[in-house]
Amino acid sequence: MKSELLAVVIICAAANPLPAQTAWKTPKTPWGDPDLQGVWPSSSMLMTPLERDPKLGARNVLTDQEYRVKAMMSKVIKNGLEGATPSPRVNIGAGWADYGVPDRQASLVIDPPDGRIPPLTPEAQQREALRLSHYKVKHNAPDTWEDLTMWERCISLGVVGSVLPLVYNHGNQIVQSPGYVVFRNEMVHEARIIPVNGAKHIAPAIRQYMGDSIGHWEGSTLVVETTNFNGKAVIGMGGGFEGAGTLPTESLQITERFNRTDERTIAYRATIEDPNTWTKPWTIEFPLRKDDSYNTLYEYACHEGNIFMYDVLSGARAQEKPDEGAAAK
Amino acid sequence: MKSTRSTFLIASLTLAIAQAHHSFEAEFDIKKPVALHGIVTQMEWINPHAWIHIDVKGDDGKVVSWMVETGSPNILLRRGFTKKSLEPGTEIIVQGYRAKNGQNKANGGKVTFKDGRSLFLGGSNPDDPDKNRTGSR
Repeated sequence: MKSELLAVVIICAAANPLPAQTAWKTPKTPWGDPDLQGVWPSSSMLMTPLERDPKLGARNVLTDQEYRVKAMMSKVIKNGLEGATPSPRVNIGAGWADYGVPDRQASLVIDPPDGRIPPLTPEAQQREALRLSHYKVKHNAPDTWEDLTMWERCISLGVVGSVLPLVYNHGNQIVQSPGYVVFRNEMVHEARIIPVNGAKHIAPAIRQYMGDSIGHWEGSTLVVETTNFNGKAVIGMGGGFEGAGTLPTESLQITERFNRTDERTIAYRATIEDPNTWTKPWTIEFPLRKDDSYNTLYEYACHEGNIFMYDVLSGARAQEKPDEGAAAK
Repeated sequence: MKSTRSTFLIASLTLAIAQAHHSFEAEFDIKKPVALHGIVTQMEWINPHAWIHIDVKGDDGKVVSWMVETGSPNILLRRGFTKKSLEPGTEIIVQGYRAKNGQNKANGGKVTFKDGRSLFLGGSNPDDPDKNRTGSR
């Protein structure tokens, strides 16, 4: 118990809020752009929910006591998966989750100030109620692959979902060249090549899961505006897994801001706007932090071995068959 | 007290990690737990989840091949799990749940080696198959 508490104290001491932005001068690339390059996992936010506990109101920083509980949860979870006893072999359970030092931030949503996603429009409420009622019935016994989420289908988590911390594959990488920034996400193997050279958006008729991103610099901050969405990628955790999140329309616009606040931190912000879905725009923000134990992204060729898809469809068909044993009695 | 709290928290976690790409309930049957004692023939390093292949000898002496689901190869590798970590010929016992389609596939919950060392296999099952185990083992 003592060692557990000691670990929590150490974790508490190691966790830092976002550093003051004024103390940091962003380095430049050889061609003069702010240098954001590197691997920036979101692991430290794994234990931070998208929406804030209503009890916290407008407060988005946990108290010492609240943070101790969060850190304890994180440690127990990690030990539970990895096993408490050192082993000559690495524990396979570790293969199910990334870990990071938990953060004091109480929710990923920072605006509205209460950390809660704004209400849906009346039309979106009807639309989503219909979608979710179908999902509730079908997601564990699907008639077709189309009853499953874009994540389960290995298609995409979309612009926001690809960055949100979610169990594993939290890696993000930024690579720059003159006129372009590449933002790569490990989860479902995404890479956006973002022009920062004054390029215009593609034609409105072209619609894509990841939309079309155009960037520009505001001081040392990269601002990326993405449009041309196809309205098929849920905004929320896990690409709609277990009914989480909301399906937007093609009117969706996302504005991201990447502000490197120190050598090892980028403050990532995304404002989500779709007047056909939410009654007002809302914003998430969280730090992407360098992690010496997470400095490589591996390929996630998700469909390679998506045996789940075969199993779940054949499993649903098997469940539909009458119980032969019972029928014989 | 510690045991109760730890068990609760770990159970909460396993619910959380059920969000590991897909739903446990969609693929596996919580009403059909299995305990497989067999020999590793292959560890298949594929996305989104790696699979362990084992040969299981039944009471009648007949050998049946099973597949056991694990986590993502990306994280297995990141945690230091290599192709040598579970080599063919290793004798293991796997506790998990059988696939709903009735095939010889299971979601791995825990692996025990011949010498008694035990490992979580992770798995997307929503419970800890060995809830009484806490601390050292």
